[in-house]
Amino acid sequence: MIKAQGLRKDFKIYRKQPGFVGSLKSLFYRSYETKNAVKPFDVEIERGQMVGLLGPNGAGKTTLMKMFTGIIVPSAGNLLVMGHTPFKRERIFQKRIALVMGQKSQLWWDLPAMDSFQLLRRYYEIEENQFKIRVAELSHLLEVEDILKVHVRKLSLGERMKVELMSCLLHQPEMIFLDEPTIGLDLIAQKNIRDFLIYYHQQNHATIILTSHYMADIEALCSRLILLIGGKKRFDDSIKKFDGILGHNKMVSFSFTNPVSQSVPFISPFNPKWNPKRTKVELSIPEEKLRELSQKILRELPVSDFNTEKMPIERVMKSLLENPHLLKD
Amino acid sequence: MANWSLKWFQTMKVYWSNLFVYRTNFFLQTIGPLFVFLFIKLSLWTSIYLSSQKSIIGGYTLEEMLAYHLWIMVASMIILTSSSQNLSEDIRLGKISSYLIYPFSFWEFHASNFAARQTVQVFIALLTVFILLILLPTYFSNISFLFFIQGLILSLMAGFFWFSLNYIIGLMAFWLEETWTLTVLTQVVTYFCSGAIIPLELYPLWLKEALFYTPFPYLGFVPVRTFMGESLLFWQSVLVLLGWILLINLISKLIWKKGIHLYTAAGM
Repeated sequence: MIKAQGLRKDFKIYRKQPGFVGSLKSLFYRSYETKNAVKPFDVEIERGQMVGLLGPNGAGKTTLMKMFTGIIVPSAGNLLVMGHTPFKRERIFQKRIALVMGQKSQLWWDLPAMDSFQLLRRYYEIEENQFKIRVAELSHLLEVEDILKVHVRKLSLGERMKVELMSCLLHQPEMIFLDEPTIGLDLIAQKNIRDFLIYYHQQNHATIILTSHYMADIEALCSRLILLIGGKKRFDDSIKKFDGILGHNKMVSFSFTNPVSQSVPFISPFNPKWNPKRTKVELSIPEEKLRELSQKILRELPVSDFNTEKMPIERVMKSLLENPHLLKD
Repeated sequence: MANWSLKWFQTMKVYWSNLFVYRTNFFLQTIGPLFVFLFIKLSLWTSIYLSSQKSIIGGYTLEEMLAYHLWIMVASMIILTSSSQNLSEDIRLGKISSYLIYPFSFWEFHASNFAARQTVQVFIALLTVFILLILLPTYFSNISFLFFIQGLILSLMAGFFWFSLNYIIGLMAFWLEETWTLTVLTQVVTYFCSGAIIPLELYPLWLKEALFYTPFPYLGFVPVRTFMGESLLFWQSVLVLLGWILLINLISKLIWKKGIHLYTAAGM
């Protein structure tokens, strides 16, 4: 479905010195800097996969998406998406893909969503009947039947995102690119979007490429994860393997009713991290010892509460960004 | 209807409904200045004739001069309807990304918006002519249906040329941070060279002749003289305009090809 070899994108950035004097200087001399947004990048993505692109700001995720969708032209390398060269922007290719941008609305601000849909129906040459079925189905799934006739600018962010998503799926794309689809949404809205995407993926077997800052999105949706740091691919495998990068320990935290002032020798091998008041401790426990050790702690210390970590990949991600050397090159 | 015409028509419908939302803006921005401009020119030329005590300047009586400027206003309503500013803003703010994704191109989008705008403008121009005929019949004594249709055709073609020119200026946003100065410069040059301020007969002969090697006279002078019933070789003008339109669209294709390689889709 996607095949990239040595894909690269360089941007020329013009550096302007601040202020009026800087502007004057720039009339005569401009210094440019080349930024390698994406360094030689190879990837192969099969049909029906749901792949998460992960990385800090400026890592090149969005640049990669822009190249996959044909918005920008790669500086070098080979890229085929469903057998097409994206930046040639062939109509037949355009009809098979969709791009959802969380940060940017593609709908017409001053029109009800339904009017935008009608326009898209024409652009994508969707049959009237097909269109009606599709609108009914998607609006039911996303629970937006009531807002399709409201002006888009009057919708809440969550509602708008749903409508936005809907507009991109009307033409039944085989490949969907989602750039931060849940950005700025509250927890419930995030979950709604996620559930919808899972359902949609099961029903339609579309290939989905997703970028997000929310690990919960990636964890819930993607089976495969590609980590980008500084324009380079640093990890490309299953989420399970990603979890395992820092070893298979579980992070468990215990809270106590009273400060635990004495030292507790039996937990010291598990890298205890106490809070200053010593009413809470976080331990990194190997899976096989989890049961035994927890029981002992519960028995011997005044435990009021305990938690196991909800999202290991968030911790993995944080550690990797702080210590990139943990990854093999 | 063919698929492409359906795409165009639907886009035009969206333009019209947006126009309805911003109708006050529309009248203030596109129609208002024309009337202000007309009022200034009418008073200016009237006082020039009165103070110079000549009854004919550059071959025009006062009445003909005023009629000329009334027609210039009508022609401008159809010709000078496009601006490059929306376009360059789309590029600068990365809004064209959507049109690189949709199976409907950026040019098609702007051209169909132009077509939608043009239909509205022609309607307004016809209404204006109708009102002028009732209010100031003396200035339109030699109006004829044939000349009016010929003038209308030339104006529509010139309008498309003006749109294409502005499309190119808009595309400059791929290279420039701000295209505003280019827009204003083009407008000022066009006002003077098209005869929108002074009829071309008042220029030195060599300048007038030189101007006819440029597209400018076709953006005002030629359609207006046609409206006024002076046969200026209609078919020849159609051919020349057609040539300019082809040339400028060819250039714009090349510029687009170059520019799109520089596009970074800012903000997406």
